[in-house]
Amino acid sequence: MSELLNENFHIEKTSLFDFHNQMNAKMVSFGGYYLPINYAGGIISEHIHTRSKASIFDVSHMGQIEINGPFIMEALEKILPISFSKMLPGKVKYTQFINHEGKIIDDLMVHRTDNENSVWLVVNAACKEKDIEHLRASLNKNFDINLRNDLSLIAIQGPKAEESLLKLIPSLLNMDFMSSNWTNHKNYKILVTRCGYTGEDGFEISVPNKYVTSFTESLLKNPDVKLAGLGARDSLRLEAGLCLYGHDISLKTSPIEAGLKWSLCKDRVSSADFIGGNAIRGEVNKGPVRSLLGFLPKGRAPAREGTLIYDSNDNLIGEVTSGGFSPSLGVPISMGYINTPSLDQKEIFLDVRGKKIPADVVKLPFVPHNYFKKGD
Amino acid sequence: MSDIFYTKDHEWIKVNGNEGIVGITAYASEQLGDIVFVELPQEGTIFDQGKDVAVIESVKAASEIYNPTSGEIIEINSSLEENPEIINDDPLLAGWLYKIKISNSEELKNLMNEEDYKKLIEG
Repeated sequence: MSELLNENFHIEKTSLFDFHNQMNAKMVSFGGYYLPINYAGGIISEHIHTRSKASIFDVSHMGQIEINGPFIMEALEKILPISFSKMLPGKVKYTQFINHEGKIIDDLMVHRTDNENSVWLVVNAACKEKDIEHLRASLNKNFDINLRNDLSLIAIQGPKAEESLLKLIPSLLNMDFMSSNWTNHKNYKILVTRCGYTGEDGFEISVPNKYVTSFTESLLKNPDVKLAGLGARDSLRLEAGLCLYGHDISLKTSPIEAGLKWSLCKDRVSSADFIGGNAIRGEVNKGPVRSLLGFLPKGRAPAREGTLIYDSNDNLIGEVTSGGFSPSLGVPISMGYINTPSLDQKEIFLDVRGKKIPADVVKLPFVPHNYFKKGD
Repeated sequence: MSDIFYTKDHEWIKVNGNEGIVGITAYASEQLGDIVFVELPQEGTIFDQGKDVAVIESVKAASEIYNPTSGEIIEINSSLEENPEIINDDPLLAGWLYKIKISNSEELKNLMNEEDYKKLIEG
């Protein structure tokens, strides 16, 4: 709890702040915002509800950035390891801002829009300023970089997410996973993206601030839909093996170590023609010095962030970057980095308060993803 | 005088002669949320007042439990090993943590009574 509370900088409120309080949320500060850690039901029930039905998360702390100007896609390819030419308009990709050393400045979603002069980004709350600075430093001054503080962002996640959303907006039937769509709802425009951070099918929806409470209330009229807070968001993403910036990935880690090579365009890595490209290409050729893996500790004690990892000869071989309890599996789960020479260890030991707890090394995710595929 | 005393860290101790039963308050259980693991001390070990004696882990985080009075651990609530959520369900009775043989009952004066504890959490 302390890591969520010990943030001393100015704390913002999202447009749903009063609504969260009305709904008996327990509020904490996270990424510079007051957000619900959980509502009355608690984290485990919100987590289980998300995996079985659908939950709404306020993710308005995330930075929604619109960049406009001629040849914006060409300009962004100088800093992102992706190929817009391989994305159709309306498609969305997960990617990272990478520095010259090949380390991660932030991870983000990038949207190719219907307008070739406009690109949409969604970045982490705590990285907004750093990202905008990086964009300004890397892009020509002619581009208009607009942090869309006029928009809130809510996520609806879970197997009932589409059905629930279609009750309000029937035209969204059968959207592709990782695609986005501007649509009209009542008298306002919203941006709907089929993506999420739970491992479930779902959508993230940009809504003008003044409509977000009523939009959220309309979704909640469906008994399948409940509210969920940051606590469940964290346990859901951990089960899904998804990295959290500032924890599993940071300025000290590369996308290759973090198992994010799949998100880099192969041709761009070969040509290395983006910031950090040489470092990334070198790392791909040589292999990373450590890799992100999952751990299943024996017993019930969670091994949390910062837990040191040892081999059976008591050599320090890595560190846990996220760890907690898996409500779906009913056991503790952790993820963290193991140094390359020790990657063949089947059993490792996690130092939890001085006790060496044996743990199995497993591939991520802990809980299979349940993303939407057309034809399902 | 009530035989239940409270610490500022939200532990309670129910005193019966020179023995005490220790647990966490309903307020603490509420604040922690879903409890998923409890690490209890070994029977027979001796802890001073205020020493960290146990760990309660909720989904969110690990929290240390501080021993309300010096003494020897004489029994632990082993049902918590398999069912730590008992603390959330019943923090004041079935969710007790351990029994301690109180070595210095003078130390109870450092603790709060129910009225003062209520003021603390409502404060």
